[in-house]
Amino acid sequence: MMSSRIFTSFTEDILKSKQSKRGVMIMRDAISLRVSSKGVIITLDPERDFSDIKSSLNRYVGEAGDFFAGVNLFVNLNGYNCLLEDMQELISGLSRFEKIENIYFINEKENTKYRTTDTILLNRTIRSGQRIKFPTNIVIIGDINPGAEVIAGGDIIVLGKLRGVVHAGAQGSIKARVVALVLQPTQLRIGNIISRPPDDSGLSEPLRPERAYVKDGAIIVEEMKL
Amino acid sequence: MAGKVIVITSGKGGVGKTTTTANIGTALALMDKRVCLIDADIGLRNLDVVMGLENRIVYDIVDVVEGNCRLEQALIRDKRNSSLFLLPAAQTRDKTAVTPYQMQELTESLKEEMDYVLVDSPAGIEQGFKNAISGAERAIIVTTPEVSAIRDADRIIGLLETEGLKNPEVIINRIRQNMVDKGDMMGIDDMIEILAINLLGVVPEDENIVISTNRGEPIVLKADKSRAGLAFQNIARRIDGEELPLMSLERDTLINKLKRIVGLS
Repeated sequence: MMSSRIFTSFTEDILKSKQSKRGVMIMRDAISLRVSSKGVIITLDPERDFSDIKSSLNRYVGEAGDFFAGVNLFVNLNGYNCLLEDMQELISGLSRFEKIENIYFINEKENTKYRTTDTILLNRTIRSGQRIKFPTNIVIIGDINPGAEVIAGGDIIVLGKLRGVVHAGAQGSIKARVVALVLQPTQLRIGNIISRPPDDSGLSEPLRPERAYVKDGAIIVEEMKL
Repeated sequence: MAGKVIVITSGKGGVGKTTTTANIGTALALMDKRVCLIDADIGLRNLDVVMGLENRIVYDIVDVVEGNCRLEQALIRDKRNSSLFLLPAAQTRDKTAVTPYQMQELTESLKEEMDYVLVDSPAGIEQGFKNAISGAERAIIVTTPEVSAIRDADRIIGLLETEGLKNPEVIINRIRQNMVDKGDMMGIDDMIEILAINLLGVVPEDENIVISTNRGEPIVLKADKSRAGLAFQNIARRIDGEELPLMSLERDTLINKLKRIVGLS
């Protein structure tokens, strides 16, 4: 029997209230981010208005802080026909990224099936106060204890108990997944969706491997078949 | 033969580091070991009070590192046990009065003379903690069955690993088996599952601790009358390499005993 549970999603709450621009934008984002061996690639959605692209980008810049410190940023116009004044606005928005190495403009057709392929393997338990952050996939052989934070550009796989805070797809990919032998996170984030286990969930959660992914803007946790 | 330097730490305050240090030290000395206790909590010294040696302090650890006296002059011999010594902290200074390097030198020279050097760490993870662990080759973490204490202990384990102090051991202090049985308190298994380190011992909650601490008489001196004292004695024997099963918390008798103490039966 496969059972699944839905984590309380903060963004879902925001969507219901219809008051936050942030929630609405998550549903249909005009730009997407991914990581390659060269750096971070921001791809524009050519179907969208420039105002959408601009506001998405501004939000990313605001949320990123110095997350992109020292990396190269590639802005893929993805066939979008950019006016000069649009381009100027784009540049002024991008220049607000902190500590970024170089910004390049490219124009390539986006392969939407892309996933991060680089993976970091950590053979230890991540303890309270420790913070692990890589723009790749992260595999942890050990536990993530309460108070610890693991942030990955791609997927997070925990061969142990996940009890801390994890953020998969930290550059905005909602295709990222989190897999753990025991999934009891303090908070679980995928892309820009933040969720937490329901308040009534006690210690009676299944002690079986589970997988978390995003479906229709909500984080679904599903028991894995063995 | 050089002795072992063991730091006793916790992260969180008030979990019983000083009480543990005093009792394990006394218990080891009762086993005819030469033991020196170092109070690394400069500015908030307590170990001398718990040991009942406050009125004998002339020089302290800061005097030693600043060269105001020789190390032997600052060591206070315990009034009950001639093989037990205390190096007290300074009360009028702060943690920055000693550096990790000086601490390391100090423990190096002390362990030449001693079988065990126990360092009582201050709470926190700042300079005082760094000083306390700098000379140690073994670490004991004291925690209580509270989520916050476990969280801090976990943080400390991580920091100790970063500093190269592998395989720390944990003492669970102040456990109340009747509350664990009712599901109102974390059990030993729950705690060890999170911390994933070796359990050195479990000390039951015992009102006699308050009395003995206030009198400056470590409770292991009355190990035959107190379960906490017996637990500390067992921990000392394990530190010395004895393979000893965990003291059963003897649920019924303990509850009855607690009831008797509280006056319920």
